Amino acid sequence: MKPGRYMGQSVPRLEDAKLLTGRALFVDDVQLPGMLHAAFLRSDDAHGILRSIDASAARERAGVVAVYTAQDLGDYWRPGPLLVPPPPITGLVFNAATQVPLARDKVRHGGEALAMVVAESRYIAEDALEDIVVELEPLAAVTDLEAALRPGASLVHEQFGTNLAAHVHQSKGDYAGARAAAALVVARRFRYDRGASAAIENRGIVAEWDARAEQLTVWDTTQAPIPIRNGLAAMLGLGESQVRVIAPFIGGGFGPKIMMFYPEEVLLPWAAMRLGRPLKWIEDRRENFYATTQERLQIHDAELAVAQDGRILGVKDTFLHDTGAYDPYGLTVPINSQCTLLGPYVVPNYDSEFTAVFTNTPIVTPVRGAGRQHGVFVMERLLDFAARELGIDRVEIRRRNLIPPDAFPYDHEILFQDFRPLVYDSGNYPAALHKAVEMIGYEAFIRSEQPRLRRAGRRAGIGVVSYIEGTGIGPYEGARVTVEPSGLVRVATGVGTQGQGHFTTFAQLVAEQLGVEVDRVRVVTGDTREFHWGTGTFASRGAVVAGNACHAAALKVRDKIIALAARLLEAEPGQVVVEGGSACVRGAPDRSFTLGELARRANPLRGAVTPGTEPGLEATAYFGPDRGNAASGVHAMIVEVDPDTAAVEIKRYVVVHDCGVVINPVVVEAQVQGGVAHGIGNAFYEQLIFDDNGQLMNASFMDYLLPTALDVPTVEMAHLETPSPLNPLGTKGVGEAGAIPTGALFAQAVEDALSGTGVEITEIPLSPNRLFELITQAKGAAA
Amino acid sequence: MIVEGTYTFPGPREVVFRLLLDPDVLAKTMPGATSIARVNEDRYEGKMGVGIGPITAAEFDVVITMTEKVVPESYQMQIDGRGRFGFTRGKASVRLTADGESTVMHYEADMMVGGKIAAVGQRLLDSVSRMMLKQGLEAMSAELDRRLGKEPA
Amino acid sequence: MTDRLTITVTVNGARHERAVESRLLLSDFLRHDLGLTGTHVGCEHGVCGACTVLLDGEAVRSCLVFAVQTDGHAVETVESLATDGVLDPLQTAFHDAHGLQCGFCTPGILMTLVPWLRHHPAPNEVDIREAISGNLCRCTGYANIVKAVELAVSRLADGRTGGPAGARS
Repeated sequence: MKPGRYMGQSVPRLEDAKLLTGRALFVDDVQLPGMLHAAFLRSDDAHGILRSIDASAARERAGVVAVYTAQDLGDYWRPGPLLVPPPPITGLVFNAATQVPLARDKVRHGGEALAMVVAESRYIAEDALEDIVVELEPLAAVTDLEAALRPGASLVHEQFGTNLAAHVHQSKGDYAGARAAAALVVARRFRYDRGASAAIENRGIVAEWDARAEQLTVWDTTQAPIPIRNGLAAMLGLGESQVRVIAPFIGGGFGPKIMMFYPEEVLLPWAAMRLGRPLKWIEDRRENFYATTQERLQIHDAELAVAQDGRILGVKDTFLHDTGAYDPYGLTVPINSQCTLLGPYVVPNYDSEFTAVFTNTPIVTPVRGAGRQHGVFVMERLLDFAARELGIDRVEIRRRNLIPPDAFPYDHEILFQDFRPLVYDSGNYPAALHKAVEMIGYEAFIRSEQPRLRRAGRRAGIGVVSYIEGTGIGPYEGARVTVEPSGLVRVATGVGTQGQGHFTTFAQLVAEQLGVEVDRVRVVTGDTREFHWGTGTFASRGAVVAGNACHAAALKVRDKIIALAARLLEAEPGQVVVEGGSACVRGAPDRSFTLGELARRANPLRGAVTPGTEPGLEATAYFGPDRGNAASGVHAMIVEVDPDTAAVEIKRYVVVHDCGVVINPVVVEAQVQGGVAHGIGNAFYEQLIFDDNGQLMNASFMDYLLPTALDVPTVEMAHLETPSPLNPLGTKGVGEAGAIPTGALFAQAVEDALSGTGVEITEIPLSPNRLFELITQAKGAAA
Repeated sequence: MIVEGTYTFPGPREVVFRLLLDPDVLAKTMPGATSIARVNEDRYEGKMGVGIGPITAAEFDVVITMTEKVVPESYQMQIDGRGRFGFTRGKASVRLTADGESTVMHYEADMMVGGKIAAVGQRLLDSVSRMMLKQGLEAMSAELDRRLGKEPA
Repeated sequence: MTDRLTITVTVNGARHERAVESRLLLSDFLRHDLGLTGTHVGCEHGVCGACTVLLDGEAVRSCLVFAVQTDGHAVETVESLATDGVLDPLQTAFHDAHGLQCGFCTPGILMTLVPWLRHHPAPNEVDIREAISGNLCRCTGYANIVKAVELAVSRLADGRTGGPAGARS
């Protein structure tokens, strides 16, 4: 899709005014007459047998309306759905254990919900939590992935007789043969630890049951309002049209808000119906550290077999993946790791197997990047080590292994998370690498700047890494476009929005086709009453899947406009021009109708129409891609490390990215910038630390550090557009891109700054503290 | 969390041993203790208030069970504290050796801390527990002095 | 915990007299009692800055202030910035520079900057980064927030204060 009046333009966002003035509705802003408030009692223990819960004192407290434990739920108590079943991979083992609304017999992670208190205010509800007496028999907790798999380990789910949640093996070619032929094999153990998604808005739910209308309305901070509606209807025995789920403005998603069903999502609507009063629960920050899902501990034992010239002959990777206490999201995260490891490189032989492990920690589901970080980290680090040992420049070893631009579609011969073969649709990886290297001034830095600084006693380093992000996966999304008699255009789509600018980018797509001013297009997302087909906002797919649905619906409406205008103006359809909010005959601007007038005429009150006529200027369209597409990019950065304090300063950060055709450059750049910030946090500041008993030891923003404005540089960016052939707009996704390669990049650049000291980085996140330890260890080893 | 160390009491072992098991003395000397009762020979129950960082007044119901008591040499304690801000539980062992007129107490405790206290008070847990231990032992020592003044051994 | 005290507080220029529990947070008072939901709550322990409001003209975290402490004082929230639906210069600059994404942290950032810009009319980039370093944003990576402040500062220096028509709320 070529740039147009709106396509490819940096249109300022249409949603901003509401957000800037405080008028935007977030879930916590919903206030209803007679509304009650819920609070949850959560387990202090990570693992234990639940003997009893005595809530009698809580029930008697003034202002408490109800207290529910698992026992009180009766038949409504049941484990949640398996959200993503495992893909059809031969030999795959998967033990499904999904989360429960309230712990019944056993507690499996710290913070697991035990009871829900409903009261006249949140303050009273929290008072009442302290009245509840829990009798729990502690069990040994499992937190270490290797220990969890040893015989005799305490079991998170007894029914499996093991803590193994899954085992998957995928391979292509003959790795053993490749290894035998290799000039060099580099092997390392890599660790990538867990962080929090930490959206600034915590989760929340408001539920209201209108008994007369028999309508349930639920406001939910979800990325997937339609599946929530359908699931709630089934659970509560209601028709789908009796349930309206609204995901209004959402204060950041980053993955965990796509998870379903959270216990609170199951319980609030149910209790609101029983009590006949609206009910609200807003997660507090401490709860968020336990009750919202997390990512991403994995331990990889990986090796890379290369020829003397640095060409990759094969990769073997065996890894452990921490799935937390339950695995409702199936294998999406580890399969992403497995697939993303291959990156933009030709890897003729690949042997990858992973074991997912249950532990007594909060549930793991995708967080921005969703396992892709790990794959990129392992591959890029192995290439760095191979380059060093072979005496090949780091950029050069990458260049020699890139998939050439004429090799698309490129088949990696394994299965991706969308159950489709991992086939890259398009890209130009050498061009991206070249551009990034040029922008950061790689050659000059290595040749003169770095030695000059080194002579002055300063340690500066540079890093360059590549990545692929499988994005824009199916199954499908839809959109309805309507021209109203006022001339305003309404677009309704099913995806929720969490700050990505959908109100603007979707409006641009529609305005482009209907020839109206972009601010005459009003986009509605995340309200099942407006649109009820679709799956949600995840996997960097909004602009691809929902975007193409908006585009397709706009084209249909455009056809209707042309057909009607041609009839009314007695012209050939080919002569009708749609622009400036009107349809006119080419060369005769006075023979025209405004779109509003056409919309009125398309909906007559009396008279007759030609049989088969559809009323209005409205159309609905759906888009489902054959498979996901491959966005890609190269990140480069220059850092300076103080070897005495281990403080790291990022001097420059360059991103060259290819998300196919860009709808709105400023929006895309902001997504990348935000992703890089998340990646920097993940690389150097953020780590959830559990002790051996499964106790989370830093569950506050005082101890869990998010990057601030002082820690994140302004990224220098370039767009490279290789249109995706898999959709009419040619878009690929971008939402997660910035966050994916940052850990690998950080490790390479910091290691480069410390070159000669013997420091080797095989773990992320680092922290100033941990880096200091590594420097000290290396000094000790050298002494 | 492992806490270990030694402390020298200026008095004979028998007196120190009795002191350490006296609920009234424990109630007086344990920092933050509001009540301690000996419900049977080897079981004590009480309440303690502790302030750790942002948690300013965590009240715990504490149950201490004595085992392997060898008068006046040693004993083991099973400690179980629960409150609305979390829990602590673990094992401690105490051994007393005579050193002339004094008694050296060797203690070792392996305590697990959980819940809110672990989650938000982590940075201060070590220093708070060390401080509480120091205060407790010093108060105990002062009590010993008082007793020895009243009823010389 | 049902002790109630009557307070009189001026919020965005309007006087309110309310009986409140002594433990009621200012953030909850503004949001629940007065319906001013533009002030957002992100951590309730004073770190994220989303709930920042002005108390007698200076930025405070409303999750760390009890409502009763504002008795006899003046509070201003994000709702006070726009006039008759027209964004103020800082809001306009945030719109023009794409200085927000999900917008949840934005009211707190605006209310942090309002008094700060009064004291620092000509800041450089480092100053701006320092100024907002106590406000967490998970979406933007801060770059466009910095640009927005720079834009607002330069426009204020030029005396151009009005927002474009498209920025009407």
